[in-house]
Amino acid sequence: MTGETTPIGSIHVSPRAVATIAHQAAIESYGVVGLAPKNLINNLTNVLVKDPTQGVDVHYDGENIIIDVYIVIEYGTRIKSVASSVANTVRFHVEKALGMEVNQVNVHVSGLRISNLD
Amino acid sequence: MNLDTQTTYIRKRQYRFRNAPLDGQALKALIRAGLTWLRTNQETVNALNVYPVPDGDTGINMVLTMQAAYDEISNSPEHNFGNMIHAVAQGALMGARGNSGVILSQIWRGLARGSGEIDILDGPSMVNAFNEARDTAYKGVVRPVEGTILTVAKDIASAAEAALSETEDPVTILERVVSEADESVQRTPELLDVLKKAGVVDAGGKGLFYILEGMLRYINGQPLDEPLTTVQPLSEMSLADTIDTIEPGQDYEIVVDFRPFTPLDLGNFYSELEKIGTSIQVGEGEGIYRMHIHVEKDRRYEPIDYTMSLGTITKVAMENLIEQMEEIERLTRGSAVNLAPVEPGQIAVVTVSPGRGISRVFASLGVANVVEGGQTMNPSTEDILSAFENLPTDKVIILPNNKNIIMAAKSATELTVKNATVIPTCTIPQGLAAMFRLAPDGDYDQVVADMNAALEEVETGEITTAIRNVEIDSVKVEEGEIIALLNGKLVYSAQSLEEASLTLLEKAEASEYELVTLFYGADVSKHEANHIADTIRNAHPNLEIELQDGGQPHYQFILSIE
Repeated sequence: MTGETTPIGSIHVSPRAVATIAHQAAIESYGVVGLAPKNLINNLTNVLVKDPTQGVDVHYDGENIIIDVYIVIEYGTRIKSVASSVANTVRFHVEKALGMEVNQVNVHVSGLRISNLD
Repeated sequence: MNLDTQTTYIRKRQYRFRNAPLDGQALKALIRAGLTWLRTNQETVNALNVYPVPDGDTGINMVLTMQAAYDEISNSPEHNFGNMIHAVAQGALMGARGNSGVILSQIWRGLARGSGEIDILDGPSMVNAFNEARDTAYKGVVRPVEGTILTVAKDIASAAEAALSETEDPVTILERVVSEADESVQRTPELLDVLKKAGVVDAGGKGLFYILEGMLRYINGQPLDEPLTTVQPLSEMSLADTIDTIEPGQDYEIVVDFRPFTPLDLGNFYSELEKIGTSIQVGEGEGIYRMHIHVEKDRRYEPIDYTMSLGTITKVAMENLIEQMEEIERLTRGSAVNLAPVEPGQIAVVTVSPGRGISRVFASLGVANVVEGGQTMNPSTEDILSAFENLPTDKVIILPNNKNIIMAAKSATELTVKNATVIPTCTIPQGLAAMFRLAPDGDYDQVVADMNAALEEVETGEITTAIRNVEIDSVKVEEGEIIALLNGKLVYSAQSLEEASLTLLEKAEASEYELVTLFYGADVSKHEANHIADTIRNAHPNLEIELQDGGQPHYQFILSIE
């Protein structure tokens, strides 16, 4: 996917590579305490292999890049602020690395982690 | 601060807090102070942003978060400290904006939890609060990054803890906390490479420092609405305006754009620059600072070296102002000469002048009209006549300023019905000396007599280039040599302007006089003229040397020795 043609050939960046960038960006966002597996099968395989793209889906239809991020947020933070921070951070880092515009970043809050009860 | 004022200061502070213990209402005032001080310094915090992330204006986000926290309590009559700080945390949580806002809200959440339900804040609960704030802040992220606001929260918790072993006074602990916050912020680039590369400190940490410092400033009764460091936006710096205000010796204009390693201490920055030059301006935009200064030629690299020690230089511009000024002068030399208005019945003076600069000097002394002319371009009788015929007065004095023009001037007086008299000035300095005696409303005959007398009081020196080989008065001159004339007589021939000028002054026994005015001609640059003036100053430290742009042709210099 996400290719570019140069005089000596073309460059392809795989969705997994993009997902890894997005994963790193999300995990470093404040308020995010984890990325969530998308479904049960992923969850089971993750027990065996640590997946650097966990919780991130990248779709590319030849024109638009759409990224879905599944996060777990710290209980007691403002979910909306954390989610929009994640969206901005992911977009910024992916665009910086890729040099291409990201059309959509959808943030799904899969759960909350409670470290403290106030 | 001496001992007396320090004691007064402590007493004042204790008084304030004896009467208003750190309860809910005191906290409200402190929150407002922290918010105000943060807002005052908001732009400084914004300027520290490293990433151009859309919601990345850390200063704005933190201000909005603190505003939400304060809005939550602004009308609350609550006196219980614990209840109040929980309300603050709730407000911060709901209003948290952006990454930095979320972290800040977590810090408030931790502070609230650590304070518990106390009525009035004391030292131990305060330390507890800072510890809990650190823990809560760190829990909010999988991979805490050091060199951020998190590190600052950690460092101030340690500082509070350390302070508690010495005192339980919350205000003293806050002082330690603020001072540590400041130092911790300064250390952030050492911990986080991206900050070091960008030459900034962490914006969120700086914001937290301002909130805490605002509280302390409030307690100490210091103002909160004026930032300590002010910079103007780059767009408002008007360098064009500074061009006409150069001072002697400030020959070079240096403009340096740079990104400081750590936030600029502007006070210190200005005072260092003032040691180097003048016309200092500092502007700021997007974290880049622009420094503008005028310096002498020999020091033109100093401002660059100095800013290089403070940050990464992105652009340097250096211009030779003297050259620029001369360019401007060349363009404006033709500008109008403002002649003195003449009232009916007053005495009007008409003078002959060989150059614009000299005309301007005459005009400033009150000349009513100027006839252009001099050594090689003698004006006609007609020219002189028409210069005063239309003046609204019949009392006219004519200053020919050249012995070849005296005759034409006298003819003009015979052709007019006006009362016109020629003062036989043979040189420009004589003409100027006469002008000093002008009293426009004075008695005509008296003024004429005074002016005639003035001719004796001034010696005239002229420096020009010989146009042919000649030997006069036992001075041998070759074509192209610089010759010096004293009161119209050839006294010396030299190879250089300096030598001619200095010898001329010697022959004139200049040391017996007080003031030498140097009119430099159209062929001499201001820079050269300055150089000659300096040479004369060095040789005759007792003489006052004044330099004037005469603009006369042929004569490099006309000297008036009084």
